[in-house]
Amino acid sequence: MAELNQTNLETILEAKGIYKSFSGVPVLQDVHFEVAKGEVHALMGENGAGKSTLIKIITGVYSKDQGQIYWEGKPVEINNYQDCQKLGVACIYQELSVIPPLTVAQNVFLGREPRNGKLIDFRKMNRMTQELIDKYEFPLKPTTIVDNLGIGQRQLIEILKGLSQDSKLLIMDEPTASLSGKEAEMLFKIIQTLRNQGVSIIYISHRLEEVYMLSDRLTILRDGKNAALLQKHEIIPAKVIETMIGKVVDESSGSRKMLQSREGEVRLDVKGLTDKSDRYRNISFQVHRGEILGLGGLIGAGRTEVVRAIYGVDKAQSGEVWLDGVKLNPSPRNSINAGIGFVPEDRRNQGFIPLLSTTRNVALTNYDIVKKNGSAVSDKDELEMSKRAIQAIDIRPSDPNKEVGVMSGGNQQKVVLGKWLMRDLKLLIVDEPTAGIDVGAKDEIYSILEDLASKGVAIIVVTSDLQELLRVSHRILVMRKGNIVKEFKNVEVTQSKVLAAGQGVEEVEEAG
Amino acid sequence: MNGINQNTLRRLISIGMLAVLLVLFTILIGAGSGKFLSQENLIAIVRDASVPGIIGVGITYVIITSGIDLSTGSAIALVGMVMANIYAYTLLPIPIMILMGILTGLACGLVNGYIVARMEIPEFIGTLATMSVFRALTYVIAIRDVNGVIKSQPMNVSQYTFLGNTIDGTPSGLPYVCIALALFVIVGQIVLRHTRFGTYIYAVGANKKAATLSGINVERVRMMVYVITGFCVSIGAVFTTARLQSATTALGTDFEFSPIAAAVVGGVALSGGSGDVVGTLIGALFMAALENGVRKLDMNTAFQYIIKGVIIVLVVMFDATYKARMDRIAKEKGAKEGLE
Repeated sequence: MAELNQTNLETILEAKGIYKSFSGVPVLQDVHFEVAKGEVHALMGENGAGKSTLIKIITGVYSKDQGQIYWEGKPVEINNYQDCQKLGVACIYQELSVIPPLTVAQNVFLGREPRNGKLIDFRKMNRMTQELIDKYEFPLKPTTIVDNLGIGQRQLIEILKGLSQDSKLLIMDEPTASLSGKEAEMLFKIIQTLRNQGVSIIYISHRLEEVYMLSDRLTILRDGKNAALLQKHEIIPAKVIETMIGKVVDESSGSRKMLQSREGEVRLDVKGLTDKSDRYRNISFQVHRGEILGLGGLIGAGRTEVVRAIYGVDKAQSGEVWLDGVKLNPSPRNSINAGIGFVPEDRRNQGFIPLLSTTRNVALTNYDIVKKNGSAVSDKDELEMSKRAIQAIDIRPSDPNKEVGVMSGGNQQKVVLGKWLMRDLKLLIVDEPTAGIDVGAKDEIYSILEDLASKGVAIIVVTSDLQELLRVSHRILVMRKGNIVKEFKNVEVTQSKVLAAGQGVEEVEEAG
Repeated sequence: MNGINQNTLRRLISIGMLAVLLVLFTILIGAGSGKFLSQENLIAIVRDASVPGIIGVGITYVIITSGIDLSTGSAIALVGMVMANIYAYTLLPIPIMILMGILTGLACGLVNGYIVARMEIPEFIGTLATMSVFRALTYVIAIRDVNGVIKSQPMNVSQYTFLGNTIDGTPSGLPYVCIALALFVIVGQIVLRHTRFGTYIYAVGANKKAATLSGINVERVRMMVYVITGFCVSIGAVFTTARLQSATTALGTDFEFSPIAAAVVGGVALSGGSGDVVGTLIGALFMAALENGVRKLDMNTAFQYIIKGVIIVLVVMFDATYKARMDRIAKEKGAKEGLE
């Protein structure tokens, strides 16, 4: 791909000196961001670096505290999504907004159908759609019902919809997150065609290789500030990772760790686990008694899918799961009976029942053991158990009858953990255990995990928070695109090394 | 794309179900005058399907937006009773009486639409409430004798009752209500498939958020489908009362669920976003043929309700599993092939 002619950079969008804070906490500080005409401009940064906030300010979802946005050199006010559409900015949403029962053409022209009298002029609409498809070389047909299309194609319809409204700037937020390799390749081809036709694209992605391949320039945000603006030839993987994480951070105490593996008796033995839909393949690893195994990698690498298959929520196509030398037939009920606990990623929807009290939530998983002698369960038995759980891990408020829905994120997570603590656990799987939880509660949750490990429970921690991964793990496996690509064991790790492995970058120079 | 379209397949299935039923009853009951397969019996089936089919047009719209309307049976009774009052107590000409009936139906629909779309009360609860209220209002305005006992009000002037009859006046002719059914189905289908409004009905049912982002006034579309149902109900009430030559408080109890059942059997998924008016017509014909056959077989009429119930459960079950399967296949196909 030819590089952009640097002298000919005509800026289409410029955001200058953007400040934004949420309830006093600064999220963006003096951020500058610009996109040139016909440029693919990538935006990268760790979770919480401020990427989404910046995009939401550009698209009018949030209002900015300070700063100015310029469109084609003129200052503009964008107060809602309609404003930004009028300028010619289209956002390709992560959660797809197509209408499945309608055709491709009907979706593209939804709300703006060409008409002949009162009736829709299908011939004209299909022709107009075909013209767009031809112009940008999309592999679609105007008359196909969207129901019959895969996710990748549905995403293309959204792009087409933006283009049909003469959008000059497309914003793509993690567009490949739910695409297969083939679908992603198709998208990349389209992005290059669009770029050659003068459409600008803001490309937000965690995946360095995509950014490396596609973008003309790259803006990196760190802690809500501009960390770097790199030209195409400056986008060197090791340098990008270093910039995203920050050298200083990588050298601070919380960001490097000497891993000490604890290889005792094997508790969990996973052999050749392979997914039906190819989200992970041939996954084999072991977890030992008393060991905390960290599972790192980018979002979408297949980590959550693997642990769900081990617990038995989703069935793997092939492969075996052994616990303490016994082969399991994975299903949630079998797993619970065998001594496996599972704390899901989406706490609010999958972890607990918000309207029920601590007592009921704890009892729900444990009705088989609330009462040993087999007679009917009484409220007293349930209450007794929840009091034990509350005491064991210090849930606040300590009132066992309090609805879990009204508690803080940290205490909700403790309730979810507390359910499992009541059982005789052999293996505990926790997926993003501290997402949306404040710092103090995080530490408490880490101590609960460490305490469980010291009692011989094997623990798998899936987390996208690199600091957390380093903090809790005895050993780390990194997944990338459905494979385990790296094991860190008895070595010193840094955040950069883990991120590099997850990105598929060969080697990062030792920081310092 | 390759393979058969989901909707086409679903259409073939409902046509197949109807065909199998017709063949089955022809074998069991026989052909010829007085039997199952005869001109007058087939016309009788279409006539029985007509009022549920007419109301079914509105119900189809409502269900495609992922709503429901439980109040149609009660609304029929209310429209009928309003017309009976005008008939009994005023000297207004018949066309004005019918017009007042239609306005009553539209008002019922507007109330449903307001409750559901504007007040955002769940469809099921909102229309359950109006079902009760419309029926109660019917009792309030019911015509009573000197002792205050509700009586049946005859409406037997020929310039009204001809609507309940056949075009040529003979028992074996084509009833007017069948013509009305044909009109409703044709116009209903064209509006659904060939106008912006029809497109928006699908959009609202399949993805409200996307519809809003595309500039569609979701609230208005949701309101309109209930008003249209109210109109269909009023026309259904006109033909029903014209045929019975009277209005009673119990009017429409048969029509409480039959339009919904027709729509469901015809492929209008309760989850919204799929199905069409022609499907509902096929569903209405299927239900009418089923009733007719069971009656002709001299089976206990209770069986008819059991069979209906079983069929509805089977159809809904099929739709749900079939949809899940098709979605998965589409997803996997996309993931594996990318695009050709």
